[in-house]
Amino acid sequence: MANFNIDAKSNMTYDAIVIGSGISGGWAAKELCEKGLKTLVLERGRLVEHITDYPTMNNDPWDLDLRGAASVDDMADRQVVARSGFVGENNKHFYGKDSENPYREEKPFLWIRANQMGGRSLLWGKQTYRWSDLDFEANLKDGHGVDWPIRYKDIAPWYTHVEKFAGISGQALGLPQLPDSHFLPPMEMNCVEKDIKARIEKEFPGRVMTIGRVAHLTEPLNGRGQCQSRNRCDRGCPYGAYFSSNAVTLPAANATGNLTIRPFSIASEIIYDEELGKATGVRVIDSETKETVEYYAKIIFCNASTINTTQILLNSTSNRFENGLGNDSGQLGHNLMDHTYRVGAHGKFDGHEDKYYKGRRPNGIYIPRYWNVDEKTNTDKFVRGFGYQGRAERSNWGAGANQEAFGGEFKDSLMTPGDWEFFITGFAECLPNYENKVYLDKDKLDQWGRPTLVLDAEFKENELAMNEQIQIDAVEMLEKAGLKDIVGFDNKHGMGYGIHEMGTARMGRDPKTSVLNGNNQVHAVKNVFVTDGACMTSSSCVNPSLTYMAITARAANFAVEELNKKNL
Amino acid sequence: MAAGSAFMVPSLFALLQSCQETSRLNWKPQFLSVKNAELVSSLVDTILPKTETPGALEMKVDMFIDLVYGKLNTKEGQEGMAAAMEAFDAKAKDKYGSRFADLSPEDKSAMLKEEEANSPKYNGSIWGTPAGVQEPVGFYRSLKSLALWGYFSSEEVGKNILTYDPVPGPYQGCIPLADVGKTYSL
Repeated sequence: MANFNIDAKSNMTYDAIVIGSGISGGWAAKELCEKGLKTLVLERGRLVEHITDYPTMNNDPWDLDLRGAASVDDMADRQVVARSGFVGENNKHFYGKDSENPYREEKPFLWIRANQMGGRSLLWGKQTYRWSDLDFEANLKDGHGVDWPIRYKDIAPWYTHVEKFAGISGQALGLPQLPDSHFLPPMEMNCVEKDIKARIEKEFPGRVMTIGRVAHLTEPLNGRGQCQSRNRCDRGCPYGAYFSSNAVTLPAANATGNLTIRPFSIASEIIYDEELGKATGVRVIDSETKETVEYYAKIIFCNASTINTTQILLNSTSNRFENGLGNDSGQLGHNLMDHTYRVGAHGKFDGHEDKYYKGRRPNGIYIPRYWNVDEKTNTDKFVRGFGYQGRAERSNWGAGANQEAFGGEFKDSLMTPGDWEFFITGFAECLPNYENKVYLDKDKLDQWGRPTLVLDAEFKENELAMNEQIQIDAVEMLEKAGLKDIVGFDNKHGMGYGIHEMGTARMGRDPKTSVLNGNNQVHAVKNVFVTDGACMTSSSCVNPSLTYMAITARAANFAVEELNKKNL
Repeated sequence: MAAGSAFMVPSLFALLQSCQETSRLNWKPQFLSVKNAELVSSLVDTILPKTETPGALEMKVDMFIDLVYGKLNTKEGQEGMAAAMEAFDAKAKDKYGSRFADLSPEDKSAMLKEEEANSPKYNGSIWGTPAGVQEPVGFYRSLKSLALWGYFSSEEVGKNILTYDPVPGPYQGCIPLADVGKTYSL
């Protein structure tokens, strides 16, 4: 495979440095390298080469003593990640060790880290949705947060740009609140999902149910294979069928010959030159040797993931920036957002008992936002809105645990598929709120001597009002769709479970109230760009990764133009 | 407590136990006491007995639960589970006259019917995690759940009895069940 150039010793100076190699860092590297910039990617953890470093990708349950579960000893270093319920023997090596990266939860905040090349792009849910002007205009219209400095028209061509290369499957609908992507063919709904879709759309005019839009290939693209419905994505895909930095952007960056990637490199701070009035490089701690090394470049892209990026900026202090690089507004670290998670309803469906499906589709259905999208749908209960993900499938032997039965007949009855079950679970937009914040704890250093972080954030009135509505609407939709044994649920999770943390270095029009401008440049340090989730000014209710990709590609191309004009 | 020492020197403890009683086991537990391993064995055999298809004991589900008990639980978790096993046997003795493993098939069945009726249930699950806050389901239902997991994730059942389809190809959403037959194992 790729044989990445990891020789960062012979050269300390580059055209560009990219901090982080996850979803946004991979895109920054690809765009900058393809435009001819010698680019150094600083990776916090180890290298993970596509396929070569996916040791568990073909494991069946019985190949492991614990059938895929991770032992208490294995999880001892991953106590935060364990709370997500998503970690097992087959994917634990792609999650960071929480014990090595301590943080304090002033209020409960599940902070999922993935410290290796590719970051969480190896683990993400692959749901990919464009934002619309309903999202980009929201802050301006209802007064929460500050106005986005960009609109849909600014980013639309960049959505297309990244979608063509990443490969996004989905169904075009022409909805104003959920613009269509450049789509590969949609995945198929199963028979029950099709029935429920028809009933919901009939009973609730204005509500739509569609197949999830996902970064899975439904036909081959650029040498990558199409999805084989194994649903073992979070171990790494042998076909490269889902989008990850490892399978898609980093190999493309590497193919230019312009990429150097340095593993085990903790970016501790960005070096600021007061005379030049710009950043000159990045101070790096080698996580293995604990040595400090400095790398220099004309431009720096921060893509360490939302909270890590802000940690680096907060830790980059100088006479000019006593409270963190670019923090003239005092907004750095504030306005942390996520989506609400695990509130909805499930039930059983009568019919189609003689039908089944083939494959473990790594995707479900999506019900786009329908509240507050126009005059007719406005409510005074909350601002913004929510969407639902969900799926129908037949229960298997696991359903036997609840059945009041045991013995031979019971056992043999579990050999054939059980009831059709269906659920929807909501994701609500989270308002930017100054009180939701991260800050440095200078009294508690990590093993590399860096101040650790304190996370102090919670869902507030508007999010909780939406969660109530999510459950009410979910139960009502399932009832009208003819399901039975309907159960509404709300796990009342704190923030972080959506794993969509956003904000803390927001874009804006005014340097007095925001950290970044409309091209993702730090207002006061124009050669530093932040294009991961930290840059987000609001959170929409749809999954953010596609927007990180598009914003990154847009900013990288702007940066190269500015360099060529000698403006940086 | 006795259970604690068993974890520190499991093999010695097991050895002493098996010298003192005639063990029903043809395997040596790594983590459970012999008495509790015997309870697990007789429970999984009652829940998933041999029919035309293999039973839980043939699939070594009791050995698997021994491993799960030792590896997926903290020491406190193990102690809690051991106490629950002892309480289960005490209940058997109290109601039916002897520990569960020694009951007649009829009494075993009567006791499990009662457990089924009285045990709380699992919440529905969303992407593999519980929908809503899960209340404890008690020893019996959690052991039943482990038994099902151990049995249906075993190689023989997964590859040769259920429908094994490791690389399905493009998803097909609506096909006749008759074309597949048994539940998919993966």
